[in-house]
Amino acid sequence: MSDAMQETGAVLEARKAYNETLRIKADQTRATWFPITIMILLIALPLLQFTGNYNYLLHMVLLTASYVALASSWNILGGFAGYISLGHNVFFCIGGYFAGMLVARYGWSGIALAPLAGLVAALFGYVIGLITLRVRGPSFIISSIALVMIARLLFDHWKFVGGANGVTLPPTELSVQWAKLPYYYAMLFIAAFTVWCSYKIKHSKFGLGLRALSKDEIKAEAAGIDTRFYKVTAFALSAFFVGMVGAVWGEYLTYIRPSIFLVILIAAYMVLMCILGGKGTIAGPVIGAILLTAFNEFFVATMGASELNILGTGVIMAVCLMFFPHGIVGSLARKGRLPRILNWD
Amino acid sequence: MEQIIQVAVLGIGLGGVFALMGAGLSLVFGVMRIVNLAHPSLIIGGAYLAYWGFRIYGIDPLIMLPVCALVLAATGVLFYKVFFERDAKSATYSEMTVLLTFAIAMIVEGALGAAFSNTQRVTSPSYATDAFFIGNVFIPKGQLYAGITSIVIIGLLAAFLKFSRLGYAIRATTQNREAAALLGVNVNMVGLMSFAIGIGLAGAAGALTSFVFSFFPAKHWEWVAVLMSLVVMGGMGSILGTVVAAFSLSIVAAFVGTWIGSTWSTMTFFLALFLVLLFRPQGLFGEKPELV
Amino acid sequence: MSDFLTIKGITAGYGDGPAILDDAKMTVQEGKVHCIIGPNGAGKSTMMKAIAGMLPLRKGEITFKGENIAGLRPDQMLRRGIAFVPQERALFPKMTVRENLRMGGYILNDDKALSSRIDEIFDRFPILRERADQHAGTMSGGQQQTLAMARTLILRPDVVMFDEPSLGLAPKIVREMFQIVRLIADTGVTVLLVEQNAVMGLRHADWGVVLDLGRTLFEGPSAEVLADPRIQELYLGGQKVA
Ligand SMILES: Nc1ncnc2c1ncn2[C@@H]1O[C@H](COP(=O)(O)OP(=O)(O)OP(=O)(O)O)[C@@H](O)[C@H]1O
Ligand SMILES: [Mg+2]
Repeated sequence: MSDAMQETGAVLEARKAYNETLRIKADQTRATWFPITIMILLIALPLLQFTGNYNYLLHMVLLTASYVALASSWNILGGFAGYISLGHNVFFCIGGYFAGMLVARYGWSGIALAPLAGLVAALFGYVIGLITLRVRGPSFIISSIALVMIARLLFDHWKFVGGANGVTLPPTELSVQWAKLPYYYAMLFIAAFTVWCSYKIKHSKFGLGLRALSKDEIKAEAAGIDTRFYKVTAFALSAFFVGMVGAVWGEYLTYIRPSIFLVILIAAYMVLMCILGGKGTIAGPVIGAILLTAFNEFFVATMGASELNILGTGVIMAVCLMFFPHGIVGSLARKGRLPRILNWD
Repeated sequence: MEQIIQVAVLGIGLGGVFALMGAGLSLVFGVMRIVNLAHPSLIIGGAYLAYWGFRIYGIDPLIMLPVCALVLAATGVLFYKVFFERDAKSATYSEMTVLLTFAIAMIVEGALGAAFSNTQRVTSPSYATDAFFIGNVFIPKGQLYAGITSIVIIGLLAAFLKFSRLGYAIRATTQNREAAALLGVNVNMVGLMSFAIGIGLAGAAGALTSFVFSFFPAKHWEWVAVLMSLVVMGGMGSILGTVVAAFSLSIVAAFVGTWIGSTWSTMTFFLALFLVLLFRPQGLFGEKPELV
Repeated sequence: MSDFLTIKGITAGYGDGPAILDDAKMTVQEGKVHCIIGPNGAGKSTMMKAIAGMLPLRKGEITFKGENIAGLRPDQMLRRGIAFVPQERALFPKMTVRENLRMGGYILNDDKALSSRIDEIFDRFPILRERADQHAGTMSGGQQQTLAMARTLILRPDVVMFDEPSLGLAPKIVREMFQIVRLIADTGVTVLLVEQNAVMGLRHADWGVVLDLGRTLFEGPSAEVLADPRIQELYLGGQKVA
């Protein structure tokens, strides 16, 4: 009897494994054309400027692209490694200030500085990670909030960078018609690059290690994964992309100020976009960013008040967490209903 | 010398209020393993209640305190029922609940902001701006009353936990949930009660806060990090640890504020948090080296 | 057999997982010491949890004094006189010994009775009186185990279940634990215990149960179990090597 049971068990296991390979095979026919087509359309979008003033549209795409990049990079630490950070806007701020100060002082280009700004943010991420990643779960989340408060205090009182008033950056010399274009393309590129990198990371040995440690850090350690190195590196990587976005964003706005980077709402958006779309998936943060930016714009346009905006964001977040903890992509994938064009994993 | 006593006295007064704020938070964490990021926003809720009680009916905030505590305790029960009673067993429970409380904090902040605008408020009973001297030591009455009230409430809480039947059940559930259930403790009920008491304490702290600090809906973010630092330092879930951390750090912060500059006094809490993470991740009174 | 406590056909598992126990059973005789042995992962702890009501039964029958008690909650079991000490971590480490004992009588809800019962326990286990105001977590392993076992007696149960009371204890202390078990049985309390050290456990028990792969392979008077050559080979001999 018991032997028979074991045999049935073994058969079932084999069947499961077989189905799994089938599923993966099916996935390999994934619709790569879809994101590529969208990219081409977005690259061509500014041609509209020849026919009229589409600056608002370009601004919205740019804004969405920046959130896509922010959410996707948050996803590297929060989605893959399972360390929820509510203070990732600190690296947004670091990138923005690093590039912004060089722009203000020496007239350099923020866009050209973006990779360097990213590196600086990554360096900070690495060092901070060495300290805060010593604890998991709630303690880590708390330390990330404290990080924002520390950064806010420092930047608000740092005379060199203009304190709470910040620094004004020289506006671009391009005509109104084309002024947005450099930032538009830069942000689009950063967003695409971030998503592509997060895909590469997820499917690398490194990404596998991250996912292992997010499930059970002790077991991952026992399996020979240098968990400390892995998670600190994930932290640094995820800070890198956020820092790049910050560099471009500051120059685009033509000013840097603590209150544009270090507000809790930005950190909340990064988390919420990932959860809404599907934490740990590739397409999830992208979809979450698009939906939430659109929702936010609609909300502000119709209701105006920022208090209601905070309230609304909180309600969406609570509803998502309680009823769709796996997000749109995650929930659909679990039911096997994810449209092919959205399966980027 | 007088200045040192002076600063220490101010620190102790504030320490009492922070200890009261942190105690409720710690209680909820201990029993439910929920890091309630919404706790400070609920304190602000309590502060508004006391503020309007005073503005409209002229009720002294110290008399409003039990009302605030009861109203907030009821809110706590409501939140428990709506948000936290469900699947307490899932693996990512504690992470998910942190984010959930983050969302609740935004909901509370947004609702308070929509209702009362972002104007700074402060309740102003006569003693709030009054003070007296012992020798040359200047003691503001507002802080003194708030500090004493906090210490009394914490004392009552400690006695309740130490001697009452429910107190036994709460401590037992905190230390070993499974064993408590085996001995006949209704751990769900204990969870509900811990929420009621913990959030009720937030209401009480709010009443005191209303005349010690000026406040506005978004103010809670400033406290989130401070209070959380206290809880982590105290060793997640150790109420005693939280109280000790609150008093000692508040005193240090008072000195930092006087000698280095008042903007830096809150920095004390954050730096202390990072030092603790570096050298004693389990907190001052905690035992588990890692919190998963 | 007897209508004291009947356990049979027990099938149980965790969540939607596989059945860890599959049609397990055991015979229980009033006032005797019963020892469940079996290799790691055999399902011994699971069996205890299933009987104690910590794990829902998928199938099976548990009757106690003529009443069907399968599917009751742990506290309901406790009220009917069946107490359980789980494997490891049964105590409240930051409560004093006295407070731990008070928790043992939590469902009594009667302060006076509780205090006098705690005094009785102190009379039977003087070491606990000595340590009455010490935090349980700071005591030695043997003392902690004594406290955990003594705590079940507060409610004057008819049946007590101990999951590996000897875990992590030095041999000399293990012998003391078994003496305590014997003392408890001598007062008429029925004991069910799980033991890794099968030979040792069976020597101190009246009845032996061999559990493996979630099924009861064999049960009988412990002397017979000890003497059975197949069991010696599979479950007793290998154990000295491991
Ligand atoms: N909480 C749990 N959730 C899921 N599976 C569990 C759980 N506890 C035990 N198991 C599984 O049930 C099986 C039997 O475990 P059990 O603890 O009953 O064994 P045991 O005989 O007590 O072993 P040991 O001598 O190691 O204590 C094991 O395969 C184990 O992995
Ligand atoms: Mg076991």
